[in-house]
Amino acid sequence: MTDQLGALTVIFTEFYYWVTVVLMFLIHVGFCMYEVGASRYKHHQHTLMKNTMVIPLVTVTWFFFGWWIYWAFPTGPGIAPSIMNESAALITDESTFSAKWYLANSEFMAVNLGDHISGVFWAAFLLFSWTAASIVSGAIIERITTFAFGILAIAIGSFFWVIDAAWGWHFDGWMLKILGYHDAYASGVIHAIAGGFALGVLIVLGPRIGKFSSSGEPRNIGPRNPWLVTVGLFLIYTGFWGFYAACNIPIFDLGPEYGMEGVTYWTATNIYVTPTTLSGITYNFLMSLSGGLLAGYVVAKGDPFWTYSSGLAGIICASAGNDLYHPIQAMLIGAIGVVIAYKMHYWVERKFKIDDAVGAVAVHGYAGFAGLVICGFVLNGYPSSGYSVGAMWDGSTYASINPLGQFLGAIIMFGVLGMLPGYVIAKILNGFGKLRIPREVEIAGLDYEMMEDDRDAEKAVASSTR
Amino acid sequence: MATVTNWIDHLSAEEVVGAVYPGAGSTETLLVILGVVFWIGWHVVTNKSESEKLSRLARKRHGANDHKSNVTEW
Repeated sequence: MTDQLGALTVIFTEFYYWVTVVLMFLIHVGFCMYEVGASRYKHHQHTLMKNTMVIPLVTVTWFFFGWWIYWAFPTGPGIAPSIMNESAALITDESTFSAKWYLANSEFMAVNLGDHISGVFWAAFLLFSWTAASIVSGAIIERITTFAFGILAIAIGSFFWVIDAAWGWHFDGWMLKILGYHDAYASGVIHAIAGGFALGVLIVLGPRIGKFSSSGEPRNIGPRNPWLVTVGLFLIYTGFWGFYAACNIPIFDLGPEYGMEGVTYWTATNIYVTPTTLSGITYNFLMSLSGGLLAGYVVAKGDPFWTYSSGLAGIICASAGNDLYHPIQAMLIGAIGVVIAYKMHYWVERKFKIDDAVGAVAVHGYAGFAGLVICGFVLNGYPSSGYSVGAMWDGSTYASINPLGQFLGAIIMFGVLGMLPGYVIAKILNGFGKLRIPREVEIAGLDYEMMEDDRDAEKAVASSTR
Repeated sequence: MATVTNWIDHLSAEEVVGAVYPGAGSTETLLVILGVVFWIGWHVVTNKSESEKLSRLARKRHGANDHKSNVTEW
């Protein structure tokens, strides 16, 4: 970097993403607190460690292959040609945005004086990956083995969500081109897929012992520490600010990027390189949070556990279009998403005997799905990508945002890349007897031996004379 | 192993080489192999220890309230 203004732009962008990563760390802290608060005393430490292990397992696999997948798979492969090389194969050529540079043994996956962005961008996406895995973690507490959860966390965190990000988030993704898919802050790309994946696992895993009576009536196993749940959800809200910022490109000159001769237009953009502002999405973040909280308080009759979760569901539902919505639209969409998620949760619980311990399938899956569909109607006709303004792909433009494309996108996210793989992998793990802990252990508590050791240590200390 | 021994020479070269970690350009693949072995090994070791722990605990058949006698709040 020899030009000071250019250097400032690069360093600002590097620092911007770094800050988002630190903020997003709070999402994981929040998820850990939330899960421990929702679990029963005899399972606390196991619950905590299970979700903590998401951090190293998803991080190392994200380094080894997850990040490569994002850059390699936008074309499908075989579904739509790339705008960079007009090939529908995996993008592994010599082009600037090729996956070739993000192989684990690439010199750009390390300290490199010629690259200030790859590492922070890698990390921002990694934190999205932790979130996807952590969403699944909450739904399956108190009965899954750590081994099985580790495999499932890697599957959703470093493989399946990355495929959907390559298809529906990457500027060259085939879902943008063919379906007109738009999901600016990841209603589907993170939340619907993770919710769907959790549901697929839950079908195989089964409910906690005692969740349903012999006649099939569900019993409430509410949070054992509501204050920890409260703080956890506040931290998730806080981290979500970082998530929104991380989904943007902070400063970009759209003139040359769009091929507009002589035009200079510096702006923030969303991940599709269409203009938005950090200021505008701040309106929408807060209004959709508020819409969710207001609706949650009503439908849950003031139940704090659901009201807090509804704030999150409100943001998630509006996220697909929060780069463009009016704040009141965001608020109303957030509220609608909460009603759908809450009603669906209890209907699925009763009808199919699904024990989603923290409502993760509802808050992330159903609200995310609904958000994608609503976005298709409200943003109908908007460009799905910055590159739809010119003939950049195979002589034609990208499809515009439309209700059918969004609906199909929601099915791909929730069902095809979420629920189906979750179900299949859980079935395989179950077939090997590795999915669920023994019944006796579930009754005794996963922390039994640890607590027993602590008791013995405490007795020894209490009886000592010096 | 050192990729850089003199920053002035390095940064004033006609073409500055970006990768500055030890072993740049020659050890990356080996490092990836070591990393993958470490990662897979972790699963193998923890799976074994978890299976042993679960089997041991299952054999004892504790009741649903037995853990309460282990609570250390005195």
